[in-house]
Amino acid sequence: MSKALENVVVVDLTREFFASLTGAMLGDFGATVIRVEDLSDPRRIDHNRDGMHPPERWNSLDELAHRNKQSLAVNLGDPAGGEIMGKLIAAADVFLTDIPFEALDEKGWDYESLCRLRSDIVYARGSGFGPEGPDRDLPAYDELAAARTGVMPTLVQPGQPPVYTGVGQMQTAVMLALGVVMALYHRDESGEGQIVDASLLGGNMYSQSLDMQAYLAMREDRFLEPISRLDSSNPMSGPMYPSADGRWVTLAMPDTDKYWPAFAEIMGLDVDDPRFDSHEKRCGEHRLEMLQVLERIFTSQPGSHWKRALDEKQLPADLIEKYDYPASDRIAAVNRYILSLDHPSHGEIQSLGFPIYMSESPARLRSMAPCVGQHSAEILQERLGYTDAEIEVLSARGAIGS
Amino acid sequence: MAKALEGIRVLDFTQWLQGPVCAQHLADFGAEVIHIERPVTGDGARGVRSIKALPVGDWNQYFLVINRNKKSLAIDLKKKEGQELFCELVEKADVFLSNYPISVLKALNLDYQKLKEVNPRIVYATNTGYGHAVEVNRPSYDINVQALTGIMTRQGEPGQPPIYLGMGSGDTYGGIMSALGIMMALYQRRRTGVGQLIDASLYGAQLFMGAPTLQPFLASGKELYSTQQSRKQAGNPLWNRYQAQDKWVFLCQENTNESWSRLCQSLEREELADDARFASAEKRAANNEELVAVLDGIVKQRKAQDWMDRWTPLGIVASPIQTLKEIAEDPQAWENDYLVRTHCEEVNREVEVRGLPITLSKTPGSVESLGPELGQDTELILADTLGISWERIGELKERGVIP
Repeated sequence: MSKALENVVVVDLTREFFASLTGAMLGDFGATVIRVEDLSDPRRIDHNRDGMHPPERWNSLDELAHRNKQSLAVNLGDPAGGEIMGKLIAAADVFLTDIPFEALDEKGWDYESLCRLRSDIVYARGSGFGPEGPDRDLPAYDELAAARTGVMPTLVQPGQPPVYTGVGQMQTAVMLALGVVMALYHRDESGEGQIVDASLLGGNMYSQSLDMQAYLAMREDRFLEPISRLDSSNPMSGPMYPSADGRWVTLAMPDTDKYWPAFAEIMGLDVDDPRFDSHEKRCGEHRLEMLQVLERIFTSQPGSHWKRALDEKQLPADLIEKYDYPASDRIAAVNRYILSLDHPSHGEIQSLGFPIYMSESPARLRSMAPCVGQHSAEILQERLGYTDAEIEVLSARGAIGS
Repeated sequence: MAKALEGIRVLDFTQWLQGPVCAQHLADFGAEVIHIERPVTGDGARGVRSIKALPVGDWNQYFLVINRNKKSLAIDLKKKEGQELFCELVEKADVFLSNYPISVLKALNLDYQKLKEVNPRIVYATNTGYGHAVEVNRPSYDINVQALTGIMTRQGEPGQPPIYLGMGSGDTYGGIMSALGIMMALYQRRRTGVGQLIDASLYGAQLFMGAPTLQPFLASGKELYSTQQSRKQAGNPLWNRYQAQDKWVFLCQENTNESWSRLCQSLEREELADDARFASAEKRAANNEELVAVLDGIVKQRKAQDWMDRWTPLGIVASPIQTLKEIAEDPQAWENDYLVRTHCEEVNREVEVRGLPITLSKTPGSVESLGPELGQDTELILADTLGISWERIGELKERGVIP
């Protein structure tokens, strides 16, 4: 089987989860991703800084964000370390980083400097707030970007605190990867590299783009406050109803005329009920009443009852599941969206797999996340032409770690 | 300026959201994207009249924005002649993209095997509901697929209903996944000369979207990651949401003694830094409910901007939690072209649309035009791209193959 990104070499100098994940996605499809760990940088990202990811046996987000990478530990404060970095970049196609602008300039890793080492480098930067604007130097924290973006206060029920979902950064990770591959494609045509930027602000904005676009066009205050689920615009599409055992049901039948007869039957409602006998009535004058009526009926039976009844009629509706559902779902497994692994250090675990399927060059798990410096010697020798003796000297003076 | 994807032709046989958004990303960067629609009604999204029970107004932004920079070809693919004509187009295309069910594509003779025979270089991209590996015969709307992933149940305060992550959030994510798959296939095709089949499903994308909590759940099986967690029990109370007098703020401070004492200073409550209950990272985590209550009491006494004015000079990282109205006026969004203004022909005025989340310095994306009228480019595409005579175009019209 071939690899889509065969021969693409990525130098990965990232710290935040989202930008590291971009590197892993490129690695999943065959790029050689060399993760540079700077031994002179005392600041290590604390993945538990939000207090939600207490160190378990190890950090499983790292496992996802650094799989299919090689690790080079190098002291970038040492001139010999700087020289290694220079040689690495000269032989690379993509430089991937999320280091703040100021620090990049300071260390001489700005675009112009890297171009002197490799004129057609694709310089990919995961940023917090984009390359322009008054807040371009704010830290690349997903929470900060999400807070700016506008839907945190409205996704919840009225009166509830704003919610942070964490999905905006996932958009950004893929956007940055897409930007990189577009730039590589253009480089093939033109011979020129360029700067690629995808920010957490941009990713968060796109993640909620329908809401945002609707507000931009319509400017209605209804978009600025939470909308109660019992005020949903279509009682048969979008709202959530609690069942008798506390499990929630959601319906996705936007075209209510099509589904009404079968749906009315399982709900025990009269198909010809004059309050609800047309789409206009269901979504218009009797909308609020219908929401209340459905709420009452759903709470009369347990979730399993509704699951069975809705499935029997093949209605687009589902119980709202917990993570244990995909963890044991055959469809998630056969599509390799979720993998079962025998991890060399942690035994049998599950991990997220590959969301993109390619028939000729499928994603592969070639290696687990490396230990810091696991490939230092190998990279220096095979990629940069250092001799065993030179490597020993560098190692002894602490310029590289392994 | 040069465009990154100039010369790539995409046959965008999609409707509603995920497929059109995928093709929109490619169109923004210069690919020639032809939105393929059925005559008379076209893409179902053309019919959107209301959003959240409010009328969309005088322009249908739902359809027009995700189909910007595209052409429209109306063709009856149920007719044999329509299928043949379409295959001629496939010969001259680089990408075929569809979010119709595989069964529909088969019925129209547009399955991968067929199109690969017509053009071995074609990158054939589908957006299925539940993946390529097995055919799943159930509807795949954004919300019901999201319901299966478990991500909704994880959000919000304990005891509250699950939370839907926003209109089309999963479709939008699946769209960009699909664009990435297409670009990787095109990149590889330069070397191999052959295309391939790619799929980015709604389910696959939405599972990946849950990574920040789903991955730790998969690795550990711990309930902490699959159930609602209260902000009152934040593992790090300094990294949390607090309600100021006028709006909420997101405070993002690492849980170190140095950061805690700086925060106390900014709150004018220096004595808290010496409070034994909060004297170390471990204690602040263990006594989180008390600490959140204390901070709740203090933060609510001033307005969000007052806090920002105090916090920023001290290097305390925080942001007001904005509404859509505020992001719509945020210079950071405009200066990066995440929001742009463009002319809307439908209403003949400038409108505001979501912009370009990916910045390419030498080949930037752009919004040249909003979504096309149904079938507006049909005749020109047939004449220019396929070299079909005007006489035959007339015959095709008579037979109802094109409108």
